[in-house]
Amino acid sequence: MKAKDVKFEDIKKGDSASFETIVTENDLKKFAELSGDYNPLHTDEKYAQGTEFGGKVIHGMLLGALVSRFIGMELPGKKALLLKETLEFKKPAMVGDVLTVKGIVVHKSEGVRLLELLMEIRTKKELLVSGAVFVRVLF
Amino acid sequence: MGYFLLCGYKLIMEKFNEIASKSFGIPLTDIKDSLTPKDISEWDSMNYLLFIAELEKQCNISFSMDEVLNAQSLGDVRKALQTKI
Repeated sequence: MKAKDVKFEDIKKGDSASFETIVTENDLKKFAELSGDYNPLHTDEKYAQGTEFGGKVIHGMLLGALVSRFIGMELPGKKALLLKETLEFKKPAMVGDVLTVKGIVVHKSEGVRLLELLMEIRTKKELLVSGAVFVRVLF
Repeated sequence: MGYFLLCGYKLIMEKFNEIASKSFGIPLTDIKDSLTPKDISEWDSMNYLLFIAELEKQCNISFSMDEVLNAQSLGDVRKALQTKI
């Protein structure tokens, strides 16, 4: 996969981008291995079914990684340097959900080549994650 | 300077102090123009960039790259801001 390369000069307040993805069982397994977070809510179907969620919940930081993918691959892409990310996990994301990751530029700081974007991760029905990121666009 | 201009100026300077206080995690009463990165442990490159970006956003101004890179103290940033209001 090749990162997009949106020039800082071409970005303006209100610009947005998005992508769709589905987190699979295998993604969850790989993320647990990578992070070391084997909490049964993410890895044990039997346990997870007995919780209020009724099944395995995607790690919050895996969703955070989708935000990283958005910044690094979509907007601004190649020249991105993520400085700060704040996320609120409003509802659980489940394996197999079709997730739309969307970001919109709400502020562009010329002096330090910095963008502030509002981020959302949602299914067709509901908002699961909202937050903000601050990204520097390198030369 | 007219009364309304003076009020606007004062408000922006108060805003500057609030943003500096929040960005660098120091009490509002400790904000001084003489403060430099050596005096403020939270003044790292990331917090400085976020500080400048927040000033631009809240005060609806833009700094040049030179102004951002040449500022050595809070007072230098304030001076750069003062030229824009």
